[in-house]
Amino acid sequence: MMVSLARKTLLHEWRRFLPAMLAVSFATLLQLLQAALVLGIFGGAAVYVSDSNADLWVGYPGTQSVDQGRPIDGDIASLLEMNPQIESVEPFYLLDGDWRGGHGTGGVSVFVSGVSTRPGAMMFARVLTPALRARLAYPESVIVDPADLNKLGVQVGDTASVNGHLVRVVGTARGLRALGGADIVTSLQTARMLDPAPSDSGGPTYLVARLRHPAAASSVVADINGHSGFGRYQAWTAPAFARLSVLFWLFNTGAGAGVLFLAVIVFVVGAIITSQALMAAVAASVNEYATLNALGVGKRSLRWVVLEQAFWVGACGVVLASVLAALLIWLAHSNNVPVAMQPSVAAACLGLVMALVAVSGLMAMRSMQRADPATLLR
Amino acid sequence: MPYSNTVIDPNPMLVAENLTKSFTSGQLSTRVLDDLSVEIGAGALTLISGPSGCGKSTLLSILSGLQAPDHGRVLALSESLQAMDAKRVEAFRLHHTGFVFQGFNLFPALTAREQVQLPLQYMRLSAQEITRRADEALAEMGMAHRQHLRPAALSGGEKQRVAIARALAKAPALLFADEPTSALDAANGQIVIDLLHRIARNHGTTVLCVSHDPRLISHADRVLTMEDGRILDDSDRGAR
Repeated sequence: MMVSLARKTLLHEWRRFLPAMLAVSFATLLQLLQAALVLGIFGGAAVYVSDSNADLWVGYPGTQSVDQGRPIDGDIASLLEMNPQIESVEPFYLLDGDWRGGHGTGGVSVFVSGVSTRPGAMMFARVLTPALRARLAYPESVIVDPADLNKLGVQVGDTASVNGHLVRVVGTARGLRALGGADIVTSLQTARMLDPAPSDSGGPTYLVARLRHPAAASSVVADINGHSGFGRYQAWTAPAFARLSVLFWLFNTGAGAGVLFLAVIVFVVGAIITSQALMAAVAASVNEYATLNALGVGKRSLRWVVLEQAFWVGACGVVLASVLAALLIWLAHSNNVPVAMQPSVAAACLGLVMALVAVSGLMAMRSMQRADPATLLR
Repeated sequence: MPYSNTVIDPNPMLVAENLTKSFTSGQLSTRVLDDLSVEIGAGALTLISGPSGCGKSTLLSILSGLQAPDHGRVLALSESLQAMDAKRVEAFRLHHTGFVFQGFNLFPALTAREQVQLPLQYMRLSAQEITRRADEALAEMGMAHRQHLRPAALSGGEKQRVAIARALAKAPALLFADEPTSALDAANGQIVIDLLHRIARNHGTTVLCVSHDPRLISHADRVLTMEDGRILDDSDRGAR
């Protein structure tokens, strides 16, 4: 059985390492929650893409974010239908609206989504049940997010007006919350009726398509973008378009810079606290380390002890914080706070914290230089 | 006369040739070792004594390869320490030297047994060999029954015996001790110096001990008395 000086010291003198572990935990928690909030809030920019199960999006060329779409020529649908890879095509109308509810809420700007009411339609397939979608077939019916009811000043069954036209709230669906407004979902026909300035073409904002082999999405996109003569359009795969929208909002609102700034602050403060605690641990045992060096244990091996301690401090802190973060994110989610997490983002946060720990360990390693056995002889 | 049958090895294990060392603080330069030469043999306890500031600890530190002299050289086991780079000196210390200090310098987190095992782990010994050596060294120091205790539960004398076991388990040819008894009471000091002497005789180890404690003189095989960076008197008691 090997004696691990790093782990034995960590367990025996845990009070000495506790501040470092809490600093690592706190840094991890902060990074994870910040990422969850950012993903949750700015994921709202891509809600149309992420709540639907289309593989392909076709819209106005150069569109930077889903909500910035402009009408395209409806004939492009024929081009898509001709492609043997494409199984089905569906139009999607997205337009701005001015909502007037009851109860003195004044005007609320809303995004009106006009979607197909056919069973098995792609748009909002992840949030609309077939029964709910069927209710939209009645003219003037709309569906909203339950969290937006207060803002819109209505209950299910109430009427309101959008751009001066009467609508009726026939149900609610969770997951429609938009960035900086409210999403309301209606049928294609009702959406066209609510459009205050129908463009001359009267075309949809997007055409979405389902592929026979979703894995081939990138090559189909390249294929479609290679055609010309069907008017102006651009195609994206659904994940690419969602990412485009999130990044557009993240960096156009300055939130992206804020996120990076906070990440750097957390990194620096965490590294300082952690390295100080590790250095204090070395300083407390400097004579013992010097004795080991006198006995011939190399400085390099002694520095590894510090790095191993840093690793364990980091691992304990990260595990503690991950449990807390999962709990808090779940709590936020069940209270309608927009939060979301992806494995890749969580891994990036934890990787950043372990990098912080490694930097602290490297900084603390230098204090092993003071473990000079000659100082033990006076 | 105790230990009068000790035979000092005619081939010296440790040779110092014309050692000079000065320390500078500000503009003042103090010569700590002044052209000092000495040969130290195996299987004996050699004591360096003298008033504080006479240079005895500096001599120990240079003879053990912890510090380099300004001039002169040290031959340890017939190898010149000055011809080695820092890494090789470290490797030399790992395989051939043991140290015992005034402060016992035991890790608070480790049990007596783990303190002894720890340096052995860096010598690329098998796990069984590490366990065997640690247990033997602790038993020889009379600490087998206390091996599962941490330093906080041990007395000063017991701590020093664990520290000696830590040095002894490496089976070093050279064992250096710096004021090993000055933090101990008379009875424990007596035990510790007896143990060091026994190691020299039973293992053929070259034990070099620095102390200003006059009680140790009667236990040493050879006493070097230093003053002002030179050896004033060299009494080879074991040879008598």
